[in-house]
Amino acid sequence: MALENIIEAKGLTRRFGSFTAVDHVDLVVKAGSIYGFLGPNGSGKSTVIRMLCGVLQPTEGEATVNGFNVRTETESIKRSIGYMSQAFSLYRDLTPAENLDFFGGIYGLKGKHLKERIDAVVELVGLRKYMEQPSGTLSGGWKQRLALAAALIHEPPLIFLDEPTAGIDPVARRSLWDLLFDLSGQGKTFFVSTHYMDEAERCSQIGYIYLSKLILKGTPVELKAMPEVSPAGTRRVSVETDNPSMSLRALKSMKGVRDATLVEAEVHLLIDTGTPDSAIQSALSEAHLPPSAVRSIEPSLEDVFVTVTRSLDKG
Amino acid sequence: MNGLWSVIRKEFMHLRRDRTTLMIALVMPVLQMIIFGYAINFDVRHIQTAVADLDNSRESRQYLAELHAGQYIDYVASLSSPEQVAQMLRNGSARVGISIPKGFARTLLKGGNPQVGVMIDGSDAQVSVRARFAFVSPPKNLPAGVPDARVNVLFNPDSKTANFMIPGLIAVILQIVTVALTAFSIVREKEMGTLEQLMVTPVGRLALMIGKLVPYAILAMVELIAVLTLSDLLFGVVSRGSLITLSIISIPFVVASLALGLLISTIAQTQGQALQLTQLSLMPSILLSGYVSPRETMPGWLYMLSSVIPGTHYMQVTRGIMVRGAGFVDLIPQFLILSLIAFLLILASTARFKKSIA
Repeated sequence: MALENIIEAKGLTRRFGSFTAVDHVDLVVKAGSIYGFLGPNGSGKSTVIRMLCGVLQPTEGEATVNGFNVRTETESIKRSIGYMSQAFSLYRDLTPAENLDFFGGIYGLKGKHLKERIDAVVELVGLRKYMEQPSGTLSGGWKQRLALAAALIHEPPLIFLDEPTAGIDPVARRSLWDLLFDLSGQGKTFFVSTHYMDEAERCSQIGYIYLSKLILKGTPVELKAMPEVSPAGTRRVSVETDNPSMSLRALKSMKGVRDATLVEAEVHLLIDTGTPDSAIQSALSEAHLPPSAVRSIEPSLEDVFVTVTRSLDKG
Repeated sequence: MNGLWSVIRKEFMHLRRDRTTLMIALVMPVLQMIIFGYAINFDVRHIQTAVADLDNSRESRQYLAELHAGQYIDYVASLSSPEQVAQMLRNGSARVGISIPKGFARTLLKGGNPQVGVMIDGSDAQVSVRARFAFVSPPKNLPAGVPDARVNVLFNPDSKTANFMIPGLIAVILQIVTVALTAFSIVREKEMGTLEQLMVTPVGRLALMIGKLVPYAILAMVELIAVLTLSDLLFGVVSRGSLITLSIISIPFVVASLALGLLISTIAQTQGQALQLTQLSLMPSILLSGYVSPRETMPGWLYMLSSVIPGTHYMQVTRGIMVRGAGFVDLIPQFLILSLIAFLLILASTARFKKSIA
């Protein structure tokens, strides 16, 4: 079953009473990709995921997951996907071995095959030495690895990860992503919702949902190249300075500056093309701030989301 | 008292949004008042009575009518032999049996004292005491002689309270424990977030319900053995009937109670609410089941309400088997009703479970 598009949604809509939680979302996820699903809390991310997982019926629209219809073939969908939620949702009082045994059993694995699958996923996530302690006593990172192991136990081609790295330490976060890249290289598809911009940068495809609508989609490169993000007559520069926050204040009010923000101790500016670098230098010296280096930069994904969201809020 | 007003307001807001707690707080005392008020009534009247009138004369019918006029007894069956009357007493469909022998009218008209056989089910002491009142003073408006009612108290003839109360208590205890066993099972998963994970797996709703039920059903059967052993050791109450029969009929009861717990678990949003709902369900289990006072004393609507509680029927089973030595055949109605309640409760909780996750 080599589907090119492992998820296809058209006009996917969900209303709760008079509230529209998801509004005509069109979305395509290519097999083998890591699809980053972004958006603020309450924008409809979880509702989309629940519909795609076959847990919640759409009010309107159609979608197929692994080739199965989300309205009529929910059982087939559930058998063919893995799911890992942001909060640890395996049994805390059971050991990892018992949890994996339980979830494997639910997916109909048994006997020797189940044992082999448990061995395989434990090996994959490196959980071996923690197999006999209660899962609730594992650290956040190990809990997530266990959850991932459980999501992979029945060899699903597609795995949904709902904010998988929320609240775990940076090392665990990095190693979880390394694992995802690895698996993606083996042909697995991941649908990952996240708040982290650096995680979004790692995805091969991105969808950004805002106020129930999917307002952006594409690869990170495509999104950064969008004309709305760098409007005609503007350019982006980074200002390296010893005193970033004071500099930010000074530059924000400067003529020709449309947007200013701090990134990694540098001030990022969106300025009119008519504003030369020297104007920035002189504005800083007027404010009695040390001189600084100015260089041109490409927009980041955060710039993309901020610019598009702002223009939506205005209009 | 910094912030007192804010805290008061906040708590009211919580309360307004937590409909379940609000409902319980408002409805519970009302229900308790009604149920306590009506259910605890020891003034037993209209006791179910079976009659075998072998004489079938004008005088025998008049005698029966006079007995009925005292309001203690109601006739529920007219049978053709004393054996049939005894059978009705054993299976619990009548509490009093009256057998009028042939020749009743003849002896009476001669001015004699014709004997009348009266059987009273002694398993419920309150009922049997009241039933005896019906025969204390002989009817006055009969011609010539006075019938001699020979009262024979069956089952628990010494009216030992323990013989009657302990089997009832067994039913109450099992009801309480089993409901509590499952009341938390679903809502706990909801709170822990594990339900979310389960929902994206292909596990069936019914499989989940029954899967949660079976281990607790086994546990409850072990508890049954424990309380039976204790009732013998502590109170010297030993079953007259077969313990195997008791165990078999206990199965649908245990399943029904556990399913009631599951239903609570699908309704409650938090474990706290599950606890409150469990307590709410316990009160009628104790008060309406016939444990505290005979169901015969309850008004019709309360009697109806009591018949949807598994414990009510199970109490008839424990008392029937342990006190009266009833057999399986005598208790087939209870067995069927308990099975029906179990079936309906499982359906209801499965249906309710679907709604709660959508």
